Amino acid sequence: MRNEDWKKISRLVSKRSLWMVHFCTGCGAMEMPPVMTSRYDMERFGMHAMATPRQADILLITGYLAVKTLKRVVQVYEQMQDPKYVIGFGSCTINGGMYWDSYNTIKDLSKYIPVDLYIAGCMPRPEAIMDAFLKLMDMIDKGEAIGWKKYRKYYDQYKRNQRMAFAYRLDEVKEIKEDDAK
Amino acid sequence: MLMETFYAFIIGSLVVLALNRFPRIAAVVAIAVSLLPLFALIYWAPLVGLTLPSYLSLLRFETEISYALGPGTILLQITPLGWFFLFLLATTFPLVLLFASSFVRDNAGGFYASMLLTMLGSFGVLLARDMLTFFIFWEIMSWSILALVLRGHDRRAIVSYLAFGSLSAMLLLFGFMILYYKTGTFLFGEMALEATPLTLAGISMIVAGFAVKGALMPLHVWAPHVYSRSEEPFVAFLSGGLSKLGYFGMILFMYGVATVPFFATWGTFRGVPYFGYALAVIGAFTAFAGTVLAIMQDDLRKLLAYSSIGQLGYVAIGIGIGTPLALTGALFQALNHTFFKAVLFLAAGAVYYRTGRWKISELGGLGYKMPFTFLAALFAIFALASIPITSGFAAKWLLYEAAIEQGFLFVTPIMLIAGVGAFLYAYKILYGVFLGEPRHDVREAPLSQLVAMWILVLPLVVFLVFPGWVLDITSPILQEYGMQPVAHTPYVITTNLAAYNTIAVILALIGTLFLALILYKWKPQKVVPHEDNYLAGEPPENYEYISMHAASNYYEPFEDVFGGIFRKGAERGWEIVLAGAEFLSNGARRIYTGLTEDYSIYILLFFLVLVGWWLLW
Amino acid sequence: MVIEIIEKILLLSGMVALGFIIGMFFNGFARKVTARIHNRVGPPIYQGYLDVFKLFAKKTNISHGWIFDLAALFSVAGIALAFLFLPVAGISLLSTEGDLFLILYLLAIPALGFALGAGASGNPNAAVGIMRALMLMLAYELPLVMVIVAMMVHYNTTSLATLVQMQSNFKWALFVPQFFIGAIIVDMALQGMLMEKPFDIAIAPHEIASGPMVEFGGKHLGALMLYKMMAIVVETTLFVDLFLGGGVVLSVEQYGWIAYLVNFLVWFALITFVFFLALLINAVFPRFRIEQALKFYWKYDALAALLLLIWVYAGVSI
Repeated sequence: MRNEDWKKISRLVSKRSLWMVHFCTGCGAMEMPPVMTSRYDMERFGMHAMATPRQADILLITGYLAVKTLKRVVQVYEQMQDPKYVIGFGSCTINGGMYWDSYNTIKDLSKYIPVDLYIAGCMPRPEAIMDAFLKLMDMIDKGEAIGWKKYRKYYDQYKRNQRMAFAYRLDEVKEIKEDDAK
Repeated sequence: MLMETFYAFIIGSLVVLALNRFPRIAAVVAIAVSLLPLFALIYWAPLVGLTLPSYLSLLRFETEISYALGPGTILLQITPLGWFFLFLLATTFPLVLLFASSFVRDNAGGFYASMLLTMLGSFGVLLARDMLTFFIFWEIMSWSILALVLRGHDRRAIVSYLAFGSLSAMLLLFGFMILYYKTGTFLFGEMALEATPLTLAGISMIVAGFAVKGALMPLHVWAPHVYSRSEEPFVAFLSGGLSKLGYFGMILFMYGVATVPFFATWGTFRGVPYFGYALAVIGAFTAFAGTVLAIMQDDLRKLLAYSSIGQLGYVAIGIGIGTPLALTGALFQALNHTFFKAVLFLAAGAVYYRTGRWKISELGGLGYKMPFTFLAALFAIFALASIPITSGFAAKWLLYEAAIEQGFLFVTPIMLIAGVGAFLYAYKILYGVFLGEPRHDVREAPLSQLVAMWILVLPLVVFLVFPGWVLDITSPILQEYGMQPVAHTPYVITTNLAAYNTIAVILALIGTLFLALILYKWKPQKVVPHEDNYLAGEPPENYEYISMHAASNYYEPFEDVFGGIFRKGAERGWEIVLAGAEFLSNGARRIYTGLTEDYSIYILLFFLVLVGWWLLW
Repeated sequence: MVIEIIEKILLLSGMVALGFIIGMFFNGFARKVTARIHNRVGPPIYQGYLDVFKLFAKKTNISHGWIFDLAALFSVAGIALAFLFLPVAGISLLSTEGDLFLILYLLAIPALGFALGAGASGNPNAAVGIMRALMLMLAYELPLVMVIVAMMVHYNTTSLATLVQMQSNFKWALFVPQFFIGAIIVDMALQGMLMEKPFDIAIAPHEIASGPMVEFGGKHLGALMLYKMMAIVVETTLFVDLFLGGGVVLSVEQYGWIAYLVNFLVWFALITFVFFLALLINAVFPRFRIEQALKFYWKYDALAALLLLIWVYAGVSI
């Protein structure tokens, strides 16, 4: 069996067994119970909520991220094991949503960690979430969900953006700028 | 060479005392002297059916000797039972001294001198042919232990050891006197006991006296104090070696001097005399309560002390049931306990040597820092929990089989649940000391300590594969007592109920481990540092203030349930006894009023009683 | 001789593989049953195979050092070992080489190995989870061993293979009045052994982040899942061997290979049924606290077992 075939089979199986850790910030967590329970039942796709990032494949971020929270999100993301996928949930992760002009929330999540899929809406309905899961499975099957590879490849860039977000003194920002110049 | 050995011990102890200023030379001298019993052991090996190459026995030792010492005679003889227990003591002793050579710092000469005297006493006890010799050497041993306990400078330990030590000596002495009164001889071999209540009382006293040394509940009170306040090499020898002497004495007097028919005159319960049944019940209670108490300790030494009490309870169960299977199990358990508990106490000593801590909640993460100490302790803990990958299981298995064979419906579950309880405190040691968050930046233990521990681990591994070898050396003991030895080959033990094949277990384990290894080596892995741990976000930055080690109050829910019943129960009981004794003594003191007329009335009363007695008879 | 040995090795590895396959089936089965009780559709019944495959196909696998790795090794090896020593459908591969006590202690190898690795991760959640698991073990073992000892004394054997043999021709222990009660007691203990609700205290995902498994991911978690799934097979088989005659309905001498097939199917149906009962309880109950579990087992279950012991002791049979 060729390596390509093996990868194909591996993807085919893996997409039917996605375990998820949801990082419940903001109000989005409210939409998860109907998705899990008997109304929509995500378990029929083999999806399961896990307790820790070590065990999980999907990181679901359900709302706005303050800078402090981002720190933890990055920690959790790095503790997950490849291959791993990120779903940004709600408009807050896309462009800040209703916190678009807040001084301490981040506006675009994909600047800091690679996001495979966004779900637009404020709030997205459970149907939209289910649709996103199916889309993600499709992407995994086709080999398009490559966020974890991107994070490895552009690691320095992501780290730089994270440092920029975490910097809260002017000289720290200056340092980053100096590093950029190098 | 036998008497010369005793003189060598005495001279050796004087020499090491003189070499107090040079601890290393003293250690070398002490170890050199301590090898003598080992040579004797090898020389006497044919007694238990072992054939060893002749060059191993460098010296010749008499098997029987009567030595005039002043007005009395010291009568010594080696028996299979003595050989078995000598095997336990003589192998542990030099290794313990080796460990001590790097561990004991202050007044090392005194330590080695007392240790040598302790061994001298035990050597004599194991060889004694009559009760007087036995008692003399027993007291030499007990008083040398006191010298070692005194080095701990702990009042409670000293007082409790003194009190229970003298209680033990008194009980033994009374028992010996009763036996002498009834039989007219001190020699074990010539004693023919009649089944009278008085002889039974004598035997009971002797067994109770030995139970003190063996730390059976409720006579165990001294043990936790002494074990937790003395130097580790000594405690390793005390728990591993010396406490077995109590059980040696029990077997000697219950099956050598008295016999099963002797006890059976007072009735039997399911084929076991009531006396033995009572001992088995006490043993089972000790095993259970010792385990529960061990689970609740935070001090590593106290935990090991209670575990020691609990594990020795199994030996008492085996001696109590007294069938060939049970006695074999008891002896096997004594052997296992010697080695694994010595390793555990020495490992605790090594941990203390490097970190200076005894409390489990203050230790942690030493498994990666001291890997060889950890592995030795791990093996010992597996043996303690009687996991079937060490020899610990075979002994417990024999005891369980013996209990089921006799149809003991209530003792067996207690034994089994105590065995499960052992997992709990075993894991407490493992997690609290060796796993979890690394909190001490230390090096591996010194070589002498590692060598001592690993040589002691060796028998646990060897007898895992060949438990039959232990049964080979216990068979002569059973034959001596007129019992049928347990059927066995080197690696299969067969009873009426089932068989246990160690080779099958080991080969199957190797096979499944191989399978698991394939599964596991399939993919490469990455080792991450300890800080990279999932803690719902990030680990706390200030390690000085926040501990991630969950070892303090580890079994808190368990303590909530059992703490009230068991903690301090025995000590409170003895305090009540003490208060009662004080009350009685105060009452007796009232007699001495200090008035002459009272005393004259006492004398008159005394004579009246005498006259009355004379008139009546 | 050599052929015999190779045959034996193949048979044993085939048995282990079978155990794992059935275990993985049970994972999907459990999730499906629970989902149907919750009025959900649930995952496909082959979900267990997909999960394990995915975990072993993960690209990165983190470890916390060599002690951490012992968990994966010992849990898989130990549970496979315990399975080999059980008589399965009347076929006793290694079960004549040991007895019931050996099996009880062999079951501790994977548990302690797992605990060792979990502790080595240094995660406080793992330590708390292990503490709960060990205490739960102490709790359920008391009624379990009481009933087992009663059976051993009643049948006068400690060998499980002999016990299964004695129960052939439908002389199941379940039909003996004492051990009908015994079966109920052990079934309650089995609930704790399987760590199904209300006794899933050790792995409570909502309290202590799945407890001992908190740091395991990738192939390590895959190995642990294999252990947990196989443990279901081992524990239910133990129950079936003790009370339901090990699933032996046809004698091999009389019917030849058909007997093997039928016995095997009956054994499979019985362990599925026993596990199904546990799942029914699991699906509707909340979780005990650990001291509640301890009190439940030591008060009610052990008290019933004590009465059973007295009954067996008196030798009374109605």
